[in-house]
Amino acid sequence: MADQLYLENIDEFVTDQNKIVTYKWLSYTLGVHVNQAKQMLYDYVERKRKENSGAQLHVTYLVSGSLIQNGHSCHKVAVVREDKLEAVKSKLAVTASIHVYSIQKAMLKDSGPLFNTDYDILKSNLQNCSKFSAIHCAAAVPRAAVESSSSEKFEQSNLQVSSETPANNELTTNGHSPPTSKQIFQQPKGIMGMFASKAASKTQDANKETKTETKEVTNVFSTGNKAPGKGNVMSNFFGKAAMNKLKVNLDSEQAVKEEKIVEQPPVSVTEPKLAAPTGLKKSSKKAEPVKMQQKEKKRGKRVELSDDETKETENMKKKRRRIKLPESDSSEDEVIPDSPGDYEAESPSPPPPPPSPPPEPVPKTEPEPPSVKSSSGEKRKRKRVLKSKTFVDEEGCMVTEKVYESESCTDSEEELKMKTSSIHRPSTMTVKKEPKEERKGPKKGTAALGKANRQVSITGFFQRK
Amino acid sequence: MFSEQAAQRAHTLLSPPSANNATFARVPVSSYTNSSQPFRLGERSFSRQYAHIYATRLLQMRPFLVSRAKQRWGGGVQVKKLCELQPGEKCCVVGTLFKAMPLQPSILREISEEHNLLPQPPRSKYIHPDDELVLEDELQRIRLEGDVDASRLVTGTVLAVLGSARDSGKFVVEDHCFAELAPQKPAPPLDTDRFVLLVSGLGLGGGGGESLLGTQLLVDVVTGQLGDEGEQCSAAHVSRVILAGNLLSHNTQSRDSINKAKYLTKKTQAASVEAVRMLDEILLQLSASVPVDVMPGEFDPTNYTLPQQPLHPCMFPLATAYSTLQLVTNPYQATIDGVRFLGTSGQNVSDIFRYSSMEDHLEILEWTLRVRHISPTAPDTLGCYPFYKTDPFIFPECPHVYFCGNTPEFGSKIFRGPEDQRVLLVAVPDFSTTQTACLVNLRSLACQPISFSGFGAEDEDLGVLGLGP
Repeated sequence: MADQLYLENIDEFVTDQNKIVTYKWLSYTLGVHVNQAKQMLYDYVERKRKENSGAQLHVTYLVSGSLIQNGHSCHKVAVVREDKLEAVKSKLAVTASIHVYSIQKAMLKDSGPLFNTDYDILKSNLQNCSKFSAIHCAAAVPRAAVESSSSEKFEQSNLQVSSETPANNELTTNGHSPPTSKQIFQQPKGIMGMFASKAASKTQDANKETKTETKEVTNVFSTGNKAPGKGNVMSNFFGKAAMNKLKVNLDSEQAVKEEKIVEQPPVSVTEPKLAAPTGLKKSSKKAEPVKMQQKEKKRGKRVELSDDETKETENMKKKRRRIKLPESDSSEDEVIPDSPGDYEAESPSPPPPPPSPPPEPVPKTEPEPPSVKSSSGEKRKRKRVLKSKTFVDEEGCMVTEKVYESESCTDSEEELKMKTSSIHRPSTMTVKKEPKEERKGPKKGTAALGKANRQVSITGFFQRK
Repeated sequence: MFSEQAAQRAHTLLSPPSANNATFARVPVSSYTNSSQPFRLGERSFSRQYAHIYATRLLQMRPFLVSRAKQRWGGGVQVKKLCELQPGEKCCVVGTLFKAMPLQPSILREISEEHNLLPQPPRSKYIHPDDELVLEDELQRIRLEGDVDASRLVTGTVLAVLGSARDSGKFVVEDHCFAELAPQKPAPPLDTDRFVLLVSGLGLGGGGGESLLGTQLLVDVVTGQLGDEGEQCSAAHVSRVILAGNLLSHNTQSRDSINKAKYLTKKTQAASVEAVRMLDEILLQLSASVPVDVMPGEFDPTNYTLPQQPLHPCMFPLATAYSTLQLVTNPYQATIDGVRFLGTSGQNVSDIFRYSSMEDHLEILEWTLRVRHISPTAPDTLGCYPFYKTDPFIFPECPHVYFCGNTPEFGSKIFRGPEDQRVLLVAVPDFSTTQTACLVNLRSLACQPISFSGFGAEDEDLGVLGLGP
């Protein structure tokens, strides 16, 4: 009979799987009303005991009722073991309800495991937690997604009130605040909104001046992501080093892929602006400004920050790329607060080194994604020259690889390139280290060059004492 | 009461499964108005002095006290200001009380190098037999002596004293009176039983797992999962749940990470993060079934000074999806189904407890009602926003239910005022220690405690339940 199915199910859960079967757990698992689950448990206990009086079954009951205590009529709700059931019942003046709470094979020492079972099943059914309950509330209707956006507006409208408090909270965090819900997304934006007017005026001036200064200003502000927002508010108050660490931390917290996708599109837009004198692959990059526009529209308030954002993201991306390189981490940390001046200084130097050592090391490192980034990150030119190099490696195999001399504008391009070059990766594993060390060399040189004559961040002049 | 009503239906659950299982509809919200607007702060400026709040408090309370004084001591009693006092003349003076307590922690004394004092350890009570009372009005102050019990009174109380000034410059008090209860509008009668559940001190993140089962049982009773049909039917009559503060435990406030080296605390998270996540899940379960009002408390992530502003909705991403969740201020004032509720999370009462000899929290609650001020010790010993236009803690009218959260034990009393006001006073106990919540019946204005328990290895079940011999 269909009715007997539940008996078999309970039997299986209790005896075979050795589970603690609470009424709530059974209700969610079998998809039945809670009262029905309680009745099922009772039925099972009765039948099992009838069949086999020596059955290894321990049952806990829920008893509730009223009791006179300290002059009050107190309503008690208690989970009790079977052996205490009668004693408790006799003490209650009025018994409101008794039902089976759970069945398990082993005797329970305390009610902790019952809570754990209920909690686990609840966690997996959070969205419909009152589906099998005996009470339905007409007023409890989840808000639609449209309304949730109105709650974001509510937060933005309250920013005047709350703007100070989030800033204070961020100051007191260690910069490790984990990314939370999307609604928090709005808060850093709000704070960024406060800085936006300052940023806009600053960047407008800076655009006319050297590229280095634009980079510095944009260094202060974050990309569109939440944690960078918080970290960069803090960066206003701390120096370079702390900011680097913050960026490293923020980096580690966020999804790598998201960042790549976020940052690489904007980079394409900045590249035309910043690398105007150098030749560019403009056709591919025209596609990117469109993407950037769409992203900017999503970030309401941030439209005015578009210039800054692109530079910021590019900066962040460059920094992140470097940070991700396990080998080049130590050296690149120093190079992180880079400016375009740095990159430009670097760009002339790397072209000589790659041709000077045999072409083998250069192409061999390219296929690896980190090495691609490092090489592209070093040169800092917006040029991307796609070369196909054929050479014989140490094993005597002929290897053809596509090589990129500068950083990529779009992640699609980069991915394409990475994919094509990854095929040849295995043959180049051995020669990895040498070119990377070479790269570290030029990097360090250019870093020293770059640091001497630029202001790293907006607080840089404080540190020149 | 709840239990009797619940017991009226037949027990059906100790039987084989039946095809039809009753589902009850939650009583719809017949009327609800949130009147906590005076406690909401918009733009905040802390550049003001706190003297203004006392000035406005005295200004607002003076008319009430004058009328009470005339009622008590006859219409002919002379109400004078301190500057008009003549020695030996019997008159009535209205002013704010100041209690000079030698044991009161004073930051100035602590940091003073002359005295070279070590910081005082926190005590449970700061009263001392040498405490002195001083009455201050708008211009002057005068020492009080005589028939006035200094140990029961606290700083910030506005009262009227009858007596005469002595040549020594002190005022000898013969009698004193408070503003007593404000006028009360009668509550419209209800035809069905409706309940409001008051809970406080959930204490999540406290580390102790014993109260978690109790919390889960509470949520299950309210959402109708637990209990027989009768109990579920009664639970469907719970029209609202008010969480009165201290949702997070005191332990979540530890600031060890600030003192430790950064490399040790790199991967640690504040304890309140996990606790707020648990709270979000509990609120989700509750708000899916019943309207919930969440008040912040002493240990909750909101501002410290009274009035505490509502918790931010971004902390509860799951629960804020439901419009039944309301995040409200502390103190909280609302009219639920025609019954006026007013309550705090308990900071006002526990502060008065520290600075007066009154022991029972319910007694202190009653005393604040009689003084017509929710928190007289603010801003002296309890943090408060520097109001200057009005003092929002003065009772404009008398509520029907007046509660305070996080008391050590449950207490409830009906208090009758001089003009036939009827107030239900409820001291909501701390749930993490007592596993007890309060059910207020709106129709009969009675309160029943409801307590939960599991079973443990060592305790006798009966002892835990309080059912011992």
